[in-house]
This record gives sequence, C-alpha cells and structure tokens, in this order.
Amino acid sequence: MKTIVKIRVVVSTVLLLMCINEVLAQVRISGSVANELSGEMLPGASVKVVGATIGVSTDEKGYFSLQVPNLQVSLSISYMGYLPREIKLNNRSTLKILLTPDASQLEEIVVVGYGTVKKGDITGSVTALKRADFNEGPIASADQLFFGKAPGVQVVQNSGEPGGGFSVNIRGAGSINAGNSPLYVVDGLPLDNSTVVSGGGENFTNSRAPRNPLNTINPADIESIEILKDASATAIYGSRGANGVVMITTKKGKAGRLSITYDAYGGIQQVANNIKLLNAGEYQLVMNDIIDAGGGSENDRVATLTNDGTNWLGSVFRKNAPTHNHNLSFSGGNENTQFNTSFNYYSQDGLIINSAFKRYSARLNLEHRVKENFKLGVNINTSYTKDDFVPNGFDLNERAGVIYAAINYDPTLPVWADNGRYFLSPNMNIDNPLAIANGKDAFSNSYRTFGTAYAEYNFLNGFKAKINVGGDIVSQRTDTYVDRSTIDGLAAGGIGSIEQGKNSNYLGEATLSYNRSFAEHQINAVVGMTGQKFIDDNFFASARGFASDATGTNNLNLGDPLTRQTTSNKGINSLLSYLARINYSYKDKYLFTTAFRADGSSRFGENNRFGYFPSFALGWKIKEEDFMKSINSISSLKLRTSWGRTGNQEIGNYQSLSTLSSGWTAVLDGAQVIGIAPSRIPNPNLKWESSEQVNIGIDFGLFKDRISGTIDWYKKDTKDMLLNLPVPRSSGFSTMMTNVGSVQNSGLEFGITSSNLVGAFQWTTTAMFTTLRNKVKSLGGIPNIITGSAGSTSQVAIIQEGEPLNSFYGYQIVGIWQENDDFSSTVDNVRAGDFKYLDVNGDKTVNAADRVIIGKSFPDFTYSLTNNFQYKGFGLYIFIEGVQGVSMLNNNLVDTYFPPNLRRNRLAEPLLNRWTPQNPSNVYPSFVTPNTQGQKGVNNYTVEDASYIRLNTVRISYNLPIKSGPIAGATVYVSGQNLYTITDYTGFDPALNPNGGANFRMDWNAYPAPRTYLFGATLNF
Amino acid sequence: MKKPIFIASLLFIIMGSLPGCKDFLKEEVFSQLAPENFLNTKEGLASLLTDTYARTANMNSNNSIYVIAPQEWTTDILFQSGDNVERDARNYIEFTWDPTVDFLVTNWDPPYQAIRDANIGLENIANVTNMSEEEKAVSAAEFRFLRAINYYKLYFFFGSVPLRTSSQQELQLAKASDEEIRSFISSELIAVVNDLPNPGDEVQYGRANKGAALAYLAKFYLNIKDWEQSASYAQQVMALNHYQLFANYEDLFKVENERNPEYIFVRPAFASSNRASANSWMNVSFPDNFQQDPRTGLAFANTWLNWPNEFRILDGFYNSFEEGDKRRNLLIGEYVDKSGQLISLLNNNNTRCFKYWPDPNAQGASHGNDIPDIRYADILLCRAEALNELTGPNNESISLINQVRARAGLAALRQGNFDQQSLREQILRERGWELYAEGHRRMDLIRMGQFISGAQARGKSNAKDFHVHFPIPQVVMDSDPKLVQNEGY
Repeated sequence: MKTIVKIRVVVSTVLLLMCINEVLAQVRISGSVANELSGEMLPGASVKVVGATIGVSTDEKGYFSLQVPNLQVSLSISYMGYLPREIKLNNRSTLKILLTPDASQLEEIVVVGYGTVKKGDITGSVTALKRADFNEGPIASADQLFFGKAPGVQVVQNSGEPGGGFSVNIRGAGSINAGNSPLYVVDGLPLDNSTVVSGGGENFTNSRAPRNPLNTINPADIESIEILKDASATAIYGSRGANGVVMITTKKGKAGRLSITYDAYGGIQQVANNIKLLNAGEYQLVMNDIIDAGGGSENDRVATLTNDGTNWLGSVFRKNAPTHNHNLSFSGGNENTQFNTSFNYYSQDGLIINSAFKRYSARLNLEHRVKENFKLGVNINTSYTKDDFVPNGFDLNERAGVIYAAINYDPTLPVWADNGRYFLSPNMNIDNPLAIANGKDAFSNSYRTFGTAYAEYNFLNGFKAKINVGGDIVSQRTDTYVDRSTIDGLAAGGIGSIEQGKNSNYLGEATLSYNRSFAEHQINAVVGMTGQKFIDDNFFASARGFASDATGTNNLNLGDPLTRQTTSNKGINSLLSYLARINYSYKDKYLFTTAFRADGSSRFGENNRFGYFPSFALGWKIKEEDFMKSINSISSLKLRTSWGRTGNQEIGNYQSLSTLSSGWTAVLDGAQVIGIAPSRIPNPNLKWESSEQVNIGIDFGLFKDRISGTIDWYKKDTKDMLLNLPVPRSSGFSTMMTNVGSVQNSGLEFGITSSNLVGAFQWTTTAMFTTLRNKVKSLGGIPNIITGSAGSTSQVAIIQEGEPLNSFYGYQIVGIWQENDDFSSTVDNVRAGDFKYLDVNGDKTVNAADRVIIGKSFPDFTYSLTNNFQYKGFGLYIFIEGVQGVSMLNNNLVDTYFPPNLRRNRLAEPLLNRWTPQNPSNVYPSFVTPNTQGQKGVNNYTVEDASYIRLNTVRISYNLPIKSGPIAGATVYVSGQNLYTITDYTGFDPALNPNGGANFRMDWNAYPAPRTYLFGATLNF
Repeated sequence: MKKPIFIASLLFIIMGSLPGCKDFLKEEVFSQLAPENFLNTKEGLASLLTDTYARTANMNSNNSIYVIAPQEWTTDILFQSGDNVERDARNYIEFTWDPTVDFLVTNWDPPYQAIRDANIGLENIANVTNMSEEEKAVSAAEFRFLRAINYYKLYFFFGSVPLRTSSQQELQLAKASDEEIRSFISSELIAVVNDLPNPGDEVQYGRANKGAALAYLAKFYLNIKDWEQSASYAQQVMALNHYQLFANYEDLFKVENERNPEYIFVRPAFASSNRASANSWMNVSFPDNFQQDPRTGLAFANTWLNWPNEFRILDGFYNSFEEGDKRRNLLIGEYVDKSGQLISLLNNNNTRCFKYWPDPNAQGASHGNDIPDIRYADILLCRAEALNELTGPNNESISLINQVRARAGLAALRQGNFDQQSLREQILRERGWELYAEGHRRMDLIRMGQFISGAQARGKSNAKDFHVHFPIPQVVMDSDPKLVQNEGY
C-alpha cells in the first residue's frame, strides 16, 4: 500500500513539471459565469484550463478573460455551492457559462458533534439558529444570542453588571451538586468555561455568579448556533453531554471579492425598575413611631432632621451609563484559500459606579485546499478583557456590598462627616455605601486564546480522515485594593491583594468518516478518538499596612511583612474517549441513527474510570410517502424518536481520593501554625452521573413551508446523581460526594415560524413555548436535604422525593394577630401586630415541623414571541418573552420583615402600611417585635411569584438606498432593550437570579439589569 | 475495502500511542497530601495534632466570642443588641431559641472535627516510624486529652451526644447514654494524666499538660455534682505547686501577661489579618464612637475596629459588686467619645466589659489575648464549692474563697457568717465577679439550679426546664436519622 502512495506522488510531481515546461501558444478568450436559475452573475468563480496551470477568477461582475494555448482545450469552472462544470471550447473565444446550484449544498446543513447533517435528515432534537434567528440589540456574550429563542433552553441572567454571568440550562436540571451548564463547543473545540479568578480579593464582596466566561468570544463572529438537546444528538459527547451541547460555528471566509463590514453602535443604560425605600422623612416617622410602640429603645430615636439626608441607591447608580461596540471584519479569498478575520472592541459601563467591562478581540478563520482531496485550516480567537468590579453580593455587616449597604443605610445621614471622611452609621457595622463603591477597587485583566488547527483528507470513494488539534489558554490577574477611605482599609492601613490564575487545556482528536449512497441506501458514519487534558493553577498574595495608598497593588512589598499571605494551587484532570456514529437512510424516507461514546475521566474512582454512552434514533419522513403526496397543504412532515444515555462529570478534582489539605490555624508557642486535616470522606467507587433520555418529535411545514415548526416531548432521567450527600455531622464531615438518587425532567417544546406576509411588505412571526417539570425521584434513602442560605437566612429550600429540586420550604403567613384574637390557641410568644403563621400540625406552636413547600424555582412554562416586519428597506423587530409559574426568595424582603436591628432602611410599602392599633392591617405586621418568633424568614411573603412578561427588545432599522460608490450597503438602526415588564415581583428584576445558576432562585442585593437605548450603523464595502 | 480499514487502524494506533491510556487518566494530586505517606511521619502527625488543637480552641473568626456568647447571653451577666447578630442574640436572651438559631453549629462542628482528627491520629500513631515510644505516648495522650475535652464541651452544651471513638465506626450513630459519655470523659482524662508532661514542660506553650487534665477532671466532676471527686482533683491541681493567682486581676487578661502561672488551659489567640485564631471580644465591647477610657487613658487606635454589635453588661450584675472590688474596673462605666464628650454608661444596662484589654497590635477585629478555658482561681472556687457541698462551710473553703477575694481587694469572709446554703450563694456571686465573660456562667447557674428560675425572674417567661440543654442543630438532625432531638425542642 505504501508503495502505491509513493508511486502516485512521483507521478503527479512529474506531471506537474511537464505542465510547467509546456510551451504555450497564446489565444485570448473571455466570458461570464452566472447562476443557471436566477441569472445572477457570480464573482470569484474559478475558471481553469483542464490539464494546465492556467486559470483566473471572475471579476466583481462575474466576467473573466484568459490566455489559453488553443481553442480546443477544456475549461473547468467551479464555485462554492454550485455543481462544477467542464466545457470544451470547440473554437469559441467568448462564452456565457451557467452553473447549477448544488441542491445538496443548498439544503440547510446543521452542525452536530463531529460532523454535519442535512436539516431534513436530523433524527435528534436540535435547535439550529442562524444569524437571522439571533437576538438583536446590545449583545455582550454568545448566550444572549439565543436567549428566549430556543425551545427547551432556559437562559437566566445572574447579574446585571456589565459582562455579568448568564446561566444556561437545557431541558431542566438533572444534578444537585455536579454542574448543570451545557457543554460549549466552538468550531470543534469543547470549551472549559470554569472560572479562573472569581471577582475581587481580600475584603472585597463578590457576586455569587462569576462573570460570563463566554465574554471572550465576540458574538458578531458567530455564524450559527446549534443546540443539541436529546440524547441522540448529545451522546456523541458522552460524559459531557447530559446537560446538552451548544455548538458554536464562527463565520468562515467566502471565495470572491474582499468584503469588509464595519458595524458600530453606541447607547445609554438606565436602571429599568428601581425599588422604593423609605426616604428620610418617612424613615424618621416610621422608626420613631415603632419606638413609641415599644419596638426600640430611646437610644434608637431618630433626631430632628438637620439635612435632607441621602438617597443612597441614587448615589451609587449612574444616571446614563454609556456602552458602545465596534466590529470590523474582512472576508474573502479564492477557490483554494478563504479567510475571515475580525476585530472587536466592546465597552460597557455599569449601572453602579466603578463597574465596567471592556473587550478587545480578534479572530482568524483560514482554510486552504492543498489538493482537491486535502485541506488544512485554522480557527483562532484571541481576546483581552478587562473587568472593573464594584463590591456586591451575598454578604452583610462589615463585608457588605454596595447594594446591601445602600438599601440598609440610614437615609437621614449625610454622605460626608465633619472630619472629611465618609459618614458612618452608628447603628450598623456597614461601611458607607459610597466608601464601599469608591474605596474598594478591583479590576481584572484576562487574556484568552483558543483555537483549532485541522487537516482533512478525502480518499477512496466517500472516506474522509480528519485530525483536529486544539488548545485554550486563559490567563487572568485580579488586583484588589481597599484604601483608607473605608473602615477596613483604615484599620489595616490599606489592603492589597493579587490573584493570578491560568486555566489551560489541549485537545487531540482523529476521526474517520464515510459518506456514500448505494441506490436507495445512504450511509454517513464517523468513528474517532479524542483526548483532552485540563491544567489549572493559581497564585494569590496579599499584604496590609502600607505607608501610603498611592502604590495600590503595584508594590505589595511595601506592606507590613507580618501581614503577607500567599497561597497557591494546581490541579489537572483529563478525558480520553472513543466515539462512533452511523446515520443510515433508506429511500430518503426512513432514517436511523446510532451513536456511541466510551469516555474515561481522571475524576472518578479507579474502578469506574470509563463510562459508556449509547444512543439510537429513528426518523420517518412521512411526507415522502405516496399517500401524503396528494395533501398539498402539508409541505413537509417528519416524525422522530430517540433514546440514549449521556453523562455528567462536572465535579471538582480528587473527590474519589483521600487527601489531606490545609486545615485550621492553631497558636502554639505564641505563633500561628497551620494544621492539616482530612479533606473528605473518599469515595473510591465514584462514577459518572448518567442520564437516560427519551424524545419524540415532529417537524412540519405547511403551505409550501410558509408555516414551519417543531414539537418535541422528552423525558430525561438522571440517575447515580453526583450528590454531596449530607453525612452525619458527628463524623467531623458534613457531606460526601456520592452517586445516589435520581431526578426526572420532562417537558414539551414548541417552536413555530410563520411568514404571515410575503412580498413588498414582509411579516414573520416566531413563537416559542416550553414547559418543564422537574421532579426528584429518589434520594437514596435519606428523607430530604435542606439547603440554601443568603446572609442570615438559611435553610431556604428542600430537596425531597416527589418535588422539584430546591423547592422553597418555609412558613405560611395567614394574617396578623389582632387585639381581639384568641391567644390561647398558641403557646408561642405572640402579641397583636405579629405575623400569624399557620400551625400546620395543630400543636399550638409554630416551629420547624410546620414548614411546607411554598414555591419552586422551575417555571411551569416559558414563552417568547418575535415579530419581524420589513417594508422598502425599513425593518421593525419586536421581541417579547415571559416566564410563568416560578418563585424566587426575595431576601431583601426578608431583611425588611425581619431586620437584625431596628435602625435600618427597608422596602417602604410594608412599613408605611404596617399594623397599628389604629390601622389593624391583616397583611403587614407592626414591626415592633419582628424576631420574637424565631427564624421564619422563608415564608409565603418573602418567596414571591417571579413570573413576568417583558417587552424585551424593539429595533427599528433602515437600509440606506446606496447604489454607487465604495459603500455596497448601509443600515442604520435604533433599538431599546428591557423596555417594559409586567410582574408582581417586588425586587429589582424577576428575571435576575443573583444566586447564580438557573435552578435555585434567590435574590439578594441584585445588581439590576439595565434598560438600554442604542443607535448604530452597519456599513458594507 | 481493505485500504480504509488499514488507514483507520493506522490512525488509531497513532492516536492511541500518543497518550498512554492509563497514564493519561491517572489523577495526579499536586496541592494536597496523601494520608498513607504523610500521616505515617512525625511531621504529618504533628500537623494533624495542630489541626486538632486549632479546632478545639475554636478561635476562627468570630467563633472566639460566639462560643462564649450562649454561655453568657442566657444569664444574669450580659446581653447583646445592635447589628445583624441581634436577631439571633434575642432568641438566646429571651429563651426562644430553637434548633435553627445561629451559633449552635459553631458549638457542634469544630468539636466533632477535632474528635475526628484525634481518632485518625490515634489510629495512625502506631505506623509512625520516625518517633520514639516516649514521643508517641505524649502525642497519644494529647490526642486523647483533646478528644475528651471536646466531649466535655459537647456534653455540657447539648447533653448526651453520639460517642465516636474511631474513624471506622458506622457513619450513622445514635446518642450515647449519659453514663457512657460521662465515663468516657472521666476515664480518658484520668488515663492521660500520667503521660502528659508537667505544667511548664510541654513542648510548646498552648499544649496540654497534667495540670490541664486534672483541672478538667475537677471541673467535670463539679458540673456533674460528684463533689468528692471534684474536690480531690482540684486538690491535685493545687498539689502540683505550679499554679498561683496572678497578682493583679486587671492586668491578668492583657496580651503581654499571657503565659502567667494562673492560666491552666487556654484558647490561644494571635492578632492577624486572617483572623484564623483571633480574639474578637473588644469589637463587640467598645461603646459607640469610643475614643478614650478616662480612667486608664486607653485611646482608640485607628487599626482597631468597633462594631455596632454591642455586648452590654446588665445593671443587676454591674451593681452587684462589693464596694472596692478591683475586678469591676474591667467594666467600663464611662468613656470619652470621638467628639470629646464624656458619656456615662451607668444604669442603662449598657456598661461594657473590657476584660480582654485591647491588644496594641490588634489588626482590625483580631486581638491577640488568649481566652482562659480554666484558670487557677476557677479551681480554687471549684474546690471551695465542692467542700461546701460535702460538709458545709469550713476553714479551707472559706480560705480558698478569701484568696480570690484578697486579690480583688476585698475583705476576707468569715466562716461564722455562713451556713451551707448562704455560702453556696456567696460562691455563685464570687464566681460571677471573678469569671464573667469567660463562658462559665451558664453552667454555674445550671449547677446551682438558678438558670431557669433566674431567667424567669428577669422576665424571660419562655424559660422552661428543658432549656438547660441546647437543642441539637437542625442541620445535624437532618444529617443523621438515628439522632433524637433533645426533650422540649
């Protein structure tokens, strides 16, 4: 065999040399190349003389001219997306050549794992989104492109800060302690999106949700996004497929004239919905009235106001925070080499002062055809992102962030004290909100480069071998400095800290695919092997007691040597996998797919390193059957069903091992000594969490595909859940990572697109509707797990068989104790004006046994409606979305009803309408003795309905009628985002989940999401 | 069809040989240590012992004070208000606590983690190769001592608890009987007395010695009202002839006077920014805008923190001191605030305890003053009480009390003025004046039968007999179906 290959190489080299040596007579010919069907001229088409090295491309208008040896040669003409042709000149010197569009290429191709399939042949559940389907408006990261656009995909924003995190859950959540985020695959490279350095350092409050790891990708580079949902589609990703897979494909170059696109927009952002707190006057009145009623001591009385006080929330918000974006891309190439390269600059200032995000990114996608059957390519993305953080998050007291401080701070206080420092409240251990925002500075510089290089070799008839290597390296450094304008900084003499981290991974994979038809049989198969290794390390250093704040973090050596702290860490994990898939189609009516992956992960016990993930799917193109041919109103109809198994390995490293790590610090002989302690109860049998999923779907088209849609029903059972199983705490441990229990997600997904009007006035409507039912099936014998905390509020939710994960678990308020009530019905310490809780078990006391499930974090359904109107260059885009039947704990409302002490500002409405003997409210309590009934912060008041419907985006665009000059096209647009929301929720935003993730909603000190108004233009050259 | 198969196999051979399959998936550990190697060395065992000491001391962050708080908020000495802690503090003060309140777990987890460490240490000690038998004996005695005193702390806080003496026991474990716990604590402490070094001979200050084991035995028997044993072990502490009262009560707790001959076993503190072993008492004791103490000239340093979380001394206690009692000097009745005004705290349930006198080198919330778990004055009063219970007032018990009174600048008591009951009451008062803010008051009141009645007398109408034990924290109950909640909760 090797000899044959060698001979071939020699022969072709000889042929090549012969060609060059050929002595040429010269005859000039000219002509044009056009589309056979539309007559459209084709610029950049390749015209070559067969058997010679002579060739040209057609010009911008589709014409060519060429010197040929004689008028008997043949020309070979090719163009992407068209069937190639060979034409003999037969003494003609001018030709008009027509190319036929390649039907197989015109049919939409959908990217799936390790290959592509024609959209009509898909047997699994895949949502394929092209650019036209993406969200419009200010898009900072890739996940916002498909927010609300893909049935079965829940995208929940975790923070409104610029570059803030989004959580994506595909078909619910199957896991309690392992991750629930999908796998992102960018141009064949599975991304590791784990956080490198989360937020700020010492004495800096961080958001629970780190900033979005997809921020490093420029959304404008993305050509298409395919969301693989059912097991038939995801099993090829095996151990990382259980949460679904998001395939991102970036724009590739097109042969032909150089195309340049410049897109820019700028805009302003405002707080969409502010919360109403007591103002200074109301605060004085309410606090003093409560003291009069016995709810506070004389020390707490608010003195006569000597100034207007301060609107603390107003003082930390920017009025009109700017944002702008510039995108420049070049695309072009010839028949053999195509490229697409782009540059992006994105800048967004936060709604809260001193927070911002900036991105500079560049991308190059290049593909070169070495020979007809051999091509090479690279896709490479590099970016620099800069985050400016403001302290904010789930913390209180001296660790309070800016929103918590601004909500709680006394509105009667001025900003400044007489000594020139920030004014401090004598009632709370919270720094001045402006001191927190201005005096605690953290910023982060991240550099990320990732990409793949590949070689594809086609051989025999229908075989293709591909080698794909890739890598990803993220390096991030966060600097934090707390200066002397803060309480912490003053006491410590400035606090500087630096955290430097690096996450990297490399990928090597080889695949062999086979694609061929035999009469009525068509086979498309792939086998492969892939390995990926992940290497993470980080280093942290801090110091205090600087002579001056001037050097910040730029010279930690100036800090007091006794205060210096350093830590470092390193971890490696790896995956090694073998995969195979066969797509078989018979008569183009009956489709069968099977996929299999064997996956090994270093994270699991020695005995359970490998997991096996099979899947099967069937499709039936009913419309192709004879009996359907006559039904003209139905233009396409396909039935699909699938079953498969996928896995989840998203736990930390070393969970199966017994290790010792740094423990508590003792003081021996007057010095601190760090002990070591066992890290965990090891579990040598730890293995994959696996999900089995059944899917049934219908794809249909009506009235010549004027209406098209997809309906899917699925049921996904996750078993052997990776669970931090609570273990008896007398063991000295609180949990142990165990494979136990199961969770079921099921739902219905419905997506429909209708071209309501075609012609000069175009109107398209896309609607999406998703239901989700999440249920814990088993917890492996333990009755329940009570979980969740936010500040002083703990035991927020319960995980219990038969109920959705993280169901809110608390008390039911049925009213307010009134003066004439029968107090003998309770032995509890209550009086008129106190909350009346439901005594569920009727034992005359309300305690932990009276808690019931009062809400859930999984919505009953989510929906969206997109309308697109086009008329004579004008475009109007309206995007409405909503969520129904979901609850969220509003912990700022818990703070309002159950304040740790009296003198704190709170949400106004309950206090202004509180119970008094003169106003015997049966809704709001007296606030005189708010905490005498124990911790009952989680109740049906504070767990609020977070359903909403939102006018998300409106965009008006106009294509300028430019006919000549260097500009080939220009579009101007204005858009508004987060415009109007209808909801009963009383916090900043029902759509935000500051707790992080998508499946446990707790709102506390949310960084609100902005309302944005933009103006922009796109120019094509 | 041969060729593709060949190419495919070639491809796989190449790929397969790149990362050797077995090595590629081997989980390498870089930042943690493997127990099979490390714990079998002297250094490894010492590190584990360090962790055991650290968790026994339970001084991480605010634990330093929240271990003491439930022992004092529930008594006639002090209470808390202000800031976030008030929500939970109120429940302690008002006797409305339930299994969900804060600070219960703070008193459960670290002791059991120390017990876990001790069990692992004791199981590994035989495998250590580079240690002499003598060194092993001392180490084993220290692990056993620490395990026993953690059970002591758990037992008097929660009542009977699960008795875990090996890392190999079943994870789910029911409570031991009262008798089992008691006999474990006493027999273990008795067993290690011989192996522990004499006071002053311990390898490092802060580690266990004979005196500590004997003192814990005296206190243990006192609290279970085994007066004979208590008196005897207190006598054995005294017979070591090592301990004595520090001359000046007011200076005893200052950071510069640590390692004094009065402290028998301490929870050591060290001022550091990481607050890993900090005494946080002063932050909750400085009154609002504190600038200066006019009596001593103590001035607030801007490297200190003053939280609006206020531990306030009850007037009933402040006013109970006899005239001239120097111990009251550590309760601040007036101060100069930042605007230079002299503010009085008297007769407003608002005097402040400056017992752990501010550490000049404190870093923020972190002061370096050790907190005594047991000190010699406690042992003197312990023997006095045990003797009084056995025989009524006698010469020795009166003279033991008078030693403590003399240091406070008070006149000696006379035996003739007391019968058994009135001396019992006098001892309770003496213990309050001597040991306030050291975490002993709750047990003293319980032992004397005044914990519940005293609370009711202070108007805490919720106080019931079952409140002498705290409930097992809800998260602990949820973690082990074999546990039965304490009566009343």
